[in-house]
Amino acid sequence: MIDVQALSKKFGDNLVLSDISTNIQKGEVVAIIGPSGSGKSTFLRCLNLLETPTSGAIEISGKNLTASRKEIHKIRQQIGMVFQHFHLFPHMTVLENLMYAPLKAKGVKKYDAEEKARQLLDRVGLAQKAAAYPNSLSGGQKQRVAIARALAMEPELMLFDEPTSALDPEMVKEVLEVMKDLAKSGMTMVIVTHEMGFAREVADRVLFLDHGILVEEGEPESFFKNPASARARDFLDKVL
Amino acid sequence: MNLDFSQIVPYIPFMLEGIWVTLKFVFFAIILGSILGTVLALFKIGSAKPLRWFADAYTSIFRGTPLILQLMIIYYSIPQLTGYDISPFLSAILAFGLNSSAYISEIIRAGIQAVDKGQLEAAQALGVPYGAMMKDIILPQALKNILPALMNEFITLTKESAIVSTIGYLDLMRRAQVVGADLFRNFEPLLFVGLIYWCLVMGLTVIGRMVERRLKLSD
Repeated sequence: MIDVQALSKKFGDNLVLSDISTNIQKGEVVAIIGPSGSGKSTFLRCLNLLETPTSGAIEISGKNLTASRKEIHKIRQQIGMVFQHFHLFPHMTVLENLMYAPLKAKGVKKYDAEEKARQLLDRVGLAQKAAAYPNSLSGGQKQRVAIARALAMEPELMLFDEPTSALDPEMVKEVLEVMKDLAKSGMTMVIVTHEMGFAREVADRVLFLDHGILVEEGEPESFFKNPASARARDFLDKVL
Repeated sequence: MNLDFSQIVPYIPFMLEGIWVTLKFVFFAIILGSILGTVLALFKIGSAKPLRWFADAYTSIFRGTPLILQLMIIYYSIPQLTGYDISPFLSAILAFGLNSSAYISEIIRAGIQAVDKGQLEAAQALGVPYGAMMKDIILPQALKNILPALMNEFITLTKESAIVSTIGYLDLMRRAQVVGADLFRNFEPLLFVGLIYWCLVMGLTVIGRMVERRLKLSD
C-alpha cells in the first residue's frame, strides 16, 4: 500500500532523512521508534506531504505523491493524521470538528456526515461531548476526538505522530485503547511512538530510525528481545 | 465666559443630519477597506511572488503618504485625467477604503500568522482545499485575535473621516464649520459635533466588545 523509495529530506544543509526505503502492506500496523531527533516525525510527515521530500519517491495506493502535487488534497483525504498536540479546531464544537472535512472537502451530505460523526464519537466513547468545545475537554478526550475526526474521512491509512506524548500519564491508556481497537478492525496504521509496550503489543512491524537512517526493521518480538544493531540495543537499554 | 449654546439650537437638525452623511461613507469605506485588506493580506502570505510584491508596494504607498493628499488626488485628478466628474461621496469612499485597506491588510496578516501552524496542518492533512481552509479555519481564528486592533482601525477611520470636509463634502465636521461661519461663533458648533463624534466612537466600542464576547464563546 505504501512504497517508499530512497526517501531523503534536508532542512537546509541538515540531512534529517537519509535514503529510506520500505514497504507497508494494507492492514499492517507499523510502529516507528527511535531517539528524539532521529527523523521519525519527519518521515511520517513526508507520507502525506506535510513535508516535501528532497529526493526519493513515495507511492500510496499506486499514486506517486510527489508527482501529484496538484491533487494532493485528494490523496490526503485517504490518509488520516493524528498529531501530538491534537490540533482540533477550537472555534467549532466536537461534532462540527468531525463533520467539517467530510462536508467541505468530500461533499458528503449534511445528514450523512452527522450520522457518521455521532457514530464515531460513540466508538471513541465521547458521544455525550458532541456539543462541547475542544477547550473544555481533557487531553485524552481531545486526542480521541482527533482520532474520530480523522476517521470521519474514512481513510485507508492512518498516521499517528506521537499521539500520547502530550498527555498526562493517566490519559495515555484511553487513547491507546482506541488505537488498539482501530488496529484490530484492520486499519493500516503508521505510528510514531515512545510507548514501547504498545509498539510491542500492537505493531506487526517496528522500524527503528536513528540520525535519519532506517537502522533496523523487524517483528516486534524479535526486535525488542534481540535487536540486531548496536544502536537499537543501546536505545532500548535506555528506554526499557 | 461667552458661551451661548442657545444660538446653535436652530442649527441642530442640520448638524444631526451630518451623522447620517458621515456614517454613510464611513460604512462603505469600512466595507471596501475590509474586503480589500483581506485580499491584500492573503497576497502577502501567499506563495505567488508578484502578488506579494504588489501588496507590499500598495501598503507602502498608502501608508507612506498623507490621507488628505490621497483624498485630494482622487477628488481632483480623476476629473482632470478621465473627464469623469467624481462626487465627493465616491472620492471619500475610495480614499478612505483604499487607505484603510493598507492598514487592515497588515492587521490581518499578523493575525493569520499568529494562528497556530498546527491548525493549517490539521486542515491540510484532512484534505481541505486552501480556500475553504482560509475561510472556515484560519480567518475566523485570526479575526478573534485581531478584533481589538481592527476596532481601533475602524475608530480611527470614523474620526479621521472629518477631513472629507476639505473637499466640500457636507459631513459632521463641515456642517459645524458652516454653522460657525453663519453665527460668527465657532466654539459651540465644534463642541457639539465633537460630542457627536465621541458618541459614535463609543457606539463602535460597545459593538466591538459585544462581538468580542460572542467570539469568546468557544473558550
